[in-house]
Amino acid sequence: MRAQGSASRVRPRFGSTARGLLWVSPWLVGSAAFLFVPMAMSLYYSLTDYPLLEPPLWSGLDNYRRMADDPVFLRVVKNTALFCVLSIPLQTILAIVLAVLLNGRIPLRRTIQACIFIPTLVPLIASAMVWMWLFNGELGLVNRVLSVLGVDGPAWLVDRDWVMPSMVLMSLWGVGQAMIVFLAALQDVPRQLYEAARIDGMGALRQFSSVTLPMISPAILFNVISLTIACVQVFAIPYVMFRKPDGTNPAGHFYTMYLYENAFVYGNMGYASAMAWVQLLVVLVLTGVMLLASRRLVHYRRV
Amino acid sequence: MTRRAALGGMAAAGAGFALFGPRGERARASVDGRIVLDYWEKWTRHEGDAMEKVIAAFNASQDRIHVRYVVTSDIGQKSLIAIGSGNPPDLIGLYSFNIPFYAEAGAIIPMDELAPKFGVTLDRYAAGVRQVMRHKGRWWATVNTAGSIALYYNRELFRKVGLDPDRPPSTIAELDEAHRKLSKIGDDGKKLERVGFLHREPGWWSWLWAYHFGGAIYSPDGGTGGGGVSLTASDANIRAMEWMQSYARDLGVDRVKSFQEGFGNYFTPENPFLTGKVGMIVQGPWIANLVQAFKPDLDYGVAPFPTVSGHAADQPVGLIDTDVLVIPRNARHPEASMEFIAWTQRQDMSELLATAHCKPSPLAVASDEFLSRHPNRGIRVHYAIFGSNRAYIAPKTPTWQQFKDEFDSAVQRVWRLEALPREVMGGLQSRTQAIIDHAAAQRRRRNA
Repeated sequence: MRAQGSASRVRPRFGSTARGLLWVSPWLVGSAAFLFVPMAMSLYYSLTDYPLLEPPLWSGLDNYRRMADDPVFLRVVKNTALFCVLSIPLQTILAIVLAVLLNGRIPLRRTIQACIFIPTLVPLIASAMVWMWLFNGELGLVNRVLSVLGVDGPAWLVDRDWVMPSMVLMSLWGVGQAMIVFLAALQDVPRQLYEAARIDGMGALRQFSSVTLPMISPAILFNVISLTIACVQVFAIPYVMFRKPDGTNPAGHFYTMYLYENAFVYGNMGYASAMAWVQLLVVLVLTGVMLLASRRLVHYRRV
Repeated sequence: MTRRAALGGMAAAGAGFALFGPRGERARASVDGRIVLDYWEKWTRHEGDAMEKVIAAFNASQDRIHVRYVVTSDIGQKSLIAIGSGNPPDLIGLYSFNIPFYAEAGAIIPMDELAPKFGVTLDRYAAGVRQVMRHKGRWWATVNTAGSIALYYNRELFRKVGLDPDRPPSTIAELDEAHRKLSKIGDDGKKLERVGFLHREPGWWSWLWAYHFGGAIYSPDGGTGGGGVSLTASDANIRAMEWMQSYARDLGVDRVKSFQEGFGNYFTPENPFLTGKVGMIVQGPWIANLVQAFKPDLDYGVAPFPTVSGHAADQPVGLIDTDVLVIPRNARHPEASMEFIAWTQRQDMSELLATAHCKPSPLAVASDEFLSRHPNRGIRVHYAIFGSNRAYIAPKTPTWQQFKDEFDSAVQRVWRLEALPREVMGGLQSRTQAIIDHAAAQRRRRNA
């Protein structure tokens, strides 16, 4: 009886939908004004010649066709893809390893966690400046340390062969965020599972592969998708480090940099919008593939 | 009314004000009943201070117009957006290479009729400077500061290696000879201690060597597309690139890389020209400000940058690079803006600004006082380039920014010995020509 009375009190009344809409209206208005309308406009611009200073002029699929013949476009796609392929697995593995280590009982655990997480709070431009000094071939700390070990360090940010490794190493700087997510997931793994695994005679490695990894697989999926989006859109750090008055280092030229240059430096907003839509489609396809793959690989615990 | 409802109402009102409230127009309507002009300019520090002095003098000189100085970084990008969105400032300080893009899009107001009303005429400017003010037969901008690019050399180092500091190199062969004498490799045979001349230091004008080999990288005339012709694969440019590549080969690409990484930033006491790590550089007159600030005892000399055949008397070859003032389309008070521009173009104001920026005045006539007190000891060399009919400017194409980025990228390949100049420049010519032709085709469609 009590339950029925309670249900009658929360029964929707006339006007409650309108009131609900009113309360979410800031989000609705904001999303429309700053997300859906700009997206629709950029889709339209991608089908036009739009130099910003003049009205857009319809050009159909011309911008999309031009990409195939644009060597710079192909170069930035290659660089960005390589960065994703190298950086995402490395970041994920390192974050898991750190999380597993910090999940154990080690001294100064909280302090070490904070130290690994703090770099993610540093503004990107500031961290780019710091890395420029660290990776300076002549004066940088990295090469100083290498020289102590008897290794003649490369010109990290100048030499084409070393630009990508530098970028990947720098991306590991921000591994703290993923590590915190994994740490939370690890602490959520039921202890009984490990006890059962031990009783079954599993060693530490087998426990990790058969218990830990499946149990944190939803967190892995979440992180890989987040990292993929971030890596495909990488911009601020390479823009600060590799776009110089004497030209951009071709090895450090990434997709979003070229998109920005087209939009705001060359005045090719139509082409830039087309690039943005290609980028969105790539992210959507990659995310879709990962979600499909997750059906087999990701283990969701039933509550 | 409940507290929650009141807060909700206030939030809604705030959001409404932010979205639909008065913008720009009302905020900058007037100061003491005067018209307010917003002037976007890129200068900060001593350069900005000098412009603010000019503005203060203008604001004090009359009671109808008040100019507000707004320091704007990335001015090209922000101006594009402001003009494109129909809410531009009243005046913008752009670079001269921006003019073709803005002019062809009709984004700035021509000055042919407006400027003479306020006593500003083209004949007041140095001959070389006039080139940048006009595009496709119309006058689009005035010049507030201008520089010409020359060879700066360290006289003390010249003396040290047995070169005559009063006879700077005039030909490319002489430059090569001076470079060889000035360059020094450390005792270990691995590291460079000093370099005579480095094309890539500071590397801001990677495209200008062709002009000193008797050619150019672009011609506004000819071509099938109607947008001009890329000449990056011309003999002159290929010879210039081969010359540049020979330096990289002789010095060693890896050695130069690590040598350059040891340089400080341009605007610091660690600038390699100030520290003596590089004996000769290609630079504008403003470097004298750096010398004054960080190494006032540096004994430097200035000469027109050498050419393959040397310089004809009084007709040196050199690049003219300027800062320009434009009035954007949809500016609210073009006449008032022009009145302010006319003030900045007065000889006293122009010289005040030029002295602070350590540049020559863009005007044809300079006062004796200005020349004698100028902080740059080589100012007369820069003037000579201004007056020369062999002076050149950045290619006048609306695609210049993209053209230059492509050029810079190609030069990096040449410098790193990745391919022969003929091969790199051939590819670059096809690519830049395609960019020019595409822009020209779009322009024709718009004008049709």
